[in-house]
Amino acid sequence: MSNEVIVMKNISKQFKVLNRHEGLKGSIQDLFSRDYKIIKAVDDVSLTVNKGEIIGYLGPNGAGKSTTIKIMTGVLEPSAGEIFVDGRMPYKDRTANSENIGVVFGQRSQLWWNLPLIESFNLLRNIYLVPEKDYRNMLELYRSLVDLEPILHKPVRQMSLGQRTLSDILAAFLHNPGIVFLDEPTIGLDVSMKARIRELIRGLNEVKGTTVILTTHDMGDVDALCKRIIIIDKGRKIYDNDIEHLKSYFGSYRTLRMRLGDDSWVEQVIDEKKTDVMHVMQEMQKEHKIKDIQLQEISTEEVIRKIYEGGESA
Amino acid sequence: MEMKTAKKRGLSFYLSIYKKILAQDLKSKMSYRADFFISTFGMVLTNISGFITFIILFHNFPSVNGWDYHHMLFLYGFSLIALTPVQCFFDNNWNLRFMVRSGDFIKYCFRPINVFFYFISEVFDVKGLGQFVFGLGTFIYAWAHIGIPVTVVTVAEAAIFLITASLFMIALMNFAAATCFWIINSGYVMVIMFRFKDFAKYPSSIFNSVFRFIFTFLIPIAFVAYYPSLVFVTPDHVPLLSWLSPFIGSLFFFLSYKFWMLGVRKYDFTGS
Repeated sequence: MSNEVIVMKNISKQFKVLNRHEGLKGSIQDLFSRDYKIIKAVDDVSLTVNKGEIIGYLGPNGAGKSTTIKIMTGVLEPSAGEIFVDGRMPYKDRTANSENIGVVFGQRSQLWWNLPLIESFNLLRNIYLVPEKDYRNMLELYRSLVDLEPILHKPVRQMSLGQRTLSDILAAFLHNPGIVFLDEPTIGLDVSMKARIRELIRGLNEVKGTTVILTTHDMGDVDALCKRIIIIDKGRKIYDNDIEHLKSYFGSYRTLRMRLGDDSWVEQVIDEKKTDVMHVMQEMQKEHKIKDIQLQEISTEEVIRKIYEGGESA
Repeated sequence: MEMKTAKKRGLSFYLSIYKKILAQDLKSKMSYRADFFISTFGMVLTNISGFITFIILFHNFPSVNGWDYHHMLFLYGFSLIALTPVQCFFDNNWNLRFMVRSGDFIKYCFRPINVFFYFISEVFDVKGLGQFVFGLGTFIYAWAHIGIPVTVVTVAEAAIFLITASLFMIALMNFAAATCFWIINSGYVMVIMFRFKDFAKYPSSIFNSVFRFIFTFLIPIAFVAYYPSLVFVTPDHVPLLSWLSPFIGSLFFFLSYKFWMLGVRKYDFTGS
């Protein structure tokens, strides 16, 4: 029980949106209209997060990922259901909750734009009332994980996107929170920067035991960091399990490529639950000469795409 | 499981944070030297031109509704000082609607400090200081010419009435800015409210009863200078509203703060 840092029970969040009408006449109508439609951004989602996990929180755009995170961080009040983050209701106790969490929203920096990073750190240290010694230790840890010197005295506005993301992540961990929410931390970054960011997140998670909730569209992030993933679509949770299970979730798909006698390659996607690879090859050999074969595992990316596209039939 | 409650963050905490943010902000502003000087110069010019218009007007009409030149000057100086805090400390209200529209506003909700404080503390507008110096000069000059005695009581009164008068304008701008949580074109509301401040430097007695009612009870611009000034200008018959203005001002400010925070709570923060 004490291991559970986030517990969500049947959480829903609805938004009331005005049905807008077209044209001038419509606009005037809208002024007086009570014609609302209810949008369910999050629909009856229950989940539990254990201490120290890195969870990939996935879903297509508009699935309700951000809304869930806003509920967990105490910015939004759920319309129904119960939520406890470290034993408190985040919405009712926003201040106490924010002391124990760190948040990074990929595209928007939360640092003071004009200040050098070290001054932002100093302000954050004061805001979170971090003891001097803990602060120094944290900076030491940062130095051991990333090359801090080039960015420490640089104003945030002069930083490259990669440096800014790095800074934002460091700032989010500065007060040693129990949980850190990372919303698309690697968006728009080059390959090597992505790798550095992933290493940093893993390093901090290992050393500090921080729980990380990671939303991303980059399956590279997921493969590199997450053991467990949660997928949500149209506000509902549709998957919550290990990443290994995911690959067999909608059938165990593999792609068999065969080079035939005329040196052309043919591909066959195989669902191993229905038929096995050897059987397919035998059938092929009856009609063709097979010179070479390749067997490809389906990538996480492809599975996720199948799920997003409503792939239950696939 | 250990249950931590929020750490105590009192007034001294907020003052020290504000001081630190302010110091950092000034430091970074100085690094844009040209911008700093040009905007200060612009503010001085704006004030001078406003002042010249004022002088020309009142040299032609030596008395308005029983207010002579130096009384008018007193009111003018009073309003300039009272309008300084809204300019210096609360200027970020002008950015609120853009922040809310773009979704950037959400970052203010993740820290364990008051959202209003955090948002407002981020911008300190140095240009307001020019206005303050100008207003103070006019105020002292008029004070001396009217012959208001300089005692502990009058100076303390001046301080209290100036501070509370400034709360009215701050509150008006808080209300206006916070409308962006509900309506899309809240920019107009802000601009209109801001324009109203120009009426603060005239004695409300020159307006007809409808406008006097509006400027007293609906958009209380008359409290920014007129009512508190009466305490000094006509000490023999001060209306009750003048004495009450510090209390009304504090209440009005408190309500505007509550309205602002209500907006934050009710806002949906749609989009990621």
